[in-house]
Amino acid sequence: MTVVEKNPAPAAISVRNLDFYYGANHALKNISIDFPQGQVTGMIGPSGCGKSTLLRVLNRMYDLYPGQRATGEVIFDGCNILGPRVNLNVLRSRVGMVFQKPTPFPMSIYDNIAFGVRLHERLDRAAMDGRVEDVLRRVALWPEVRDRLHDSAAALSGGQQQRLCIARTIATRPEVVLLDEPTSALDPVSTARIEELLDELKADFTIAIVTHNLQQAARCADQVAFFYMGEVVEVDGADRMFTAPREKRTQDYITGRFG
Amino acid sequence: MAGQESVAATTVLMDTDCCSSGRWQGNTLSDMRRRMVDRIATGLCWAATALVLLMLFSILFVLIRNGIGGLRWVTFVHVTLPPGQAGGLANAIVGSLIQTGLAVLIGAPVGLLVGIYLAEFTSTDGRLINLVRFVSDLLLSAPSILVGLFIYMVVVVPTGHFSGLAGALALSILVVPVVVRTTEDMLRLVPLSMREAAIALGAPRWRVILFVCLRAARDGVATGILLALARVSGETAPLLFTSLGNMNWSVSPAAPMASLPVTIYQYAGAAYADWTALAWTGALLITAGILMINITVRLGLGRNRK
Repeated sequence: MTVVEKNPAPAAISVRNLDFYYGANHALKNISIDFPQGQVTGMIGPSGCGKSTLLRVLNRMYDLYPGQRATGEVIFDGCNILGPRVNLNVLRSRVGMVFQKPTPFPMSIYDNIAFGVRLHERLDRAAMDGRVEDVLRRVALWPEVRDRLHDSAAALSGGQQQRLCIARTIATRPEVVLLDEPTSALDPVSTARIEELLDELKADFTIAIVTHNLQQAARCADQVAFFYMGEVVEVDGADRMFTAPREKRTQDYITGRFG
Repeated sequence: MAGQESVAATTVLMDTDCCSSGRWQGNTLSDMRRRMVDRIATGLCWAATALVLLMLFSILFVLIRNGIGGLRWVTFVHVTLPPGQAGGLANAIVGSLIQTGLAVLIGAPVGLLVGIYLAEFTSTDGRLINLVRFVSDLLLSAPSILVGLFIYMVVVVPTGHFSGLAGALALSILVVPVVVRTTEDMLRLVPLSMREAAIALGAPRWRVILFVCLRAARDGVATGILLALARVSGETAPLLFTSLGNMNWSVSPAAPMASLPVTIYQYAGAAYADWTALAWTGALLITAGILMINITVRLGLGRNRK
């Protein structure tokens, strides 16, 4: 059963009757969910339940792999992004993604950020410098790296690398940021910093975050969706979801009875 | 080496953990046999290693002993001359540099592109990819004299004469599979997550390959090209029917061209003592060159691992 709670904020992305297949494997079953603008939507559920799959539909990452296909509708900015005529590079610049493992490119800290910006905008040197500083400040990395912008990004710590990846993603000024378990490879201090960061970023971006950490979902998310076996079981405000879930399966999961 | 370490580790274990119960001392018959087998195996490893090192160093020793006398100024500035006239190897050295240089210039880009195709375009037909890889691997082990004959048939015969360019083409065919293999292997080491991260920023595929994947694999790819250079700089057979060799000074790729390996081949079998001496010197020069390339590669990789 799918419950879509009425949310006052307009939806940045609306998923309607989405089915997703890995070859013959039916991974998402008739999913419908809204991602309200300027809010953090947390996606929880046991491994293999389809959370990450849904994220990879939202920026059409699945397109890279033959045999993966989606049917249904994903409405973003008034158009169905599952359609054949969508410019994927433009879509991905508007719907950014941060991955589980930090993936700095083999270049300097500065170029890691400039790489994405250069794909979509022509900026002169001063404007690019400004953009780099701006996004590094937003992810609170600036004080740590201001003196070594042109050093290799590989020398940063894991937490710093992940903040750099977030900076890289928001540098192209997307409207939506997808985060796929962004803190699962990080220590608690780095995790806390990224959670604080999410809170600040939601003023400008719509955020969808997949997490296995229920406390993290409770702390960061405005709205939480519980996934189970390829279905969205329940979508609700984070406060209600963790105190008074309507579905038995949700309750079992958040009280640790399975998953 | 590994054998030695494990023996050392066992010894330490026995020394420090040795307890009065005799549990670690191994008094039983099977323990004694086990240790004997261990000693024999270790001994065999040492003997084999020593044998290989002995061969390598005896080759180097003979090369240096016989070749060092020819390392004179005249060897580098004078061309090959008839016996008894104190010639040098200048034309052969320069010819080798030109031909191997051209071979890498021609072969490395081709190998690079094929390697990229094999590693990055995995969504295309798998059978074609496997076929290309198979052919490339075949080429890797193809007898080099066949490559020389092939170029003889398709370049030398139609143009009517031997040429340095034909030699370089023959060598470039040997460069391609080496570069293909290393490029593919190195690109496959680039994690999928890095490609996805670049694509998620909206980067088109060519940019992902060029600026992210190749950049990440840069050191390994460069290593492959250097190794290909080292491989072809000692090749003789592909040059016999293509660049032929040239007793005179000639740097034109359109004319027959001298090279160190072919000169060594011609001089080593000659009955003249001064030619034989020059052949030794040429061999020493090639070995030193290849050694230098390999050391460069080692140093490069060492830097990369840090």
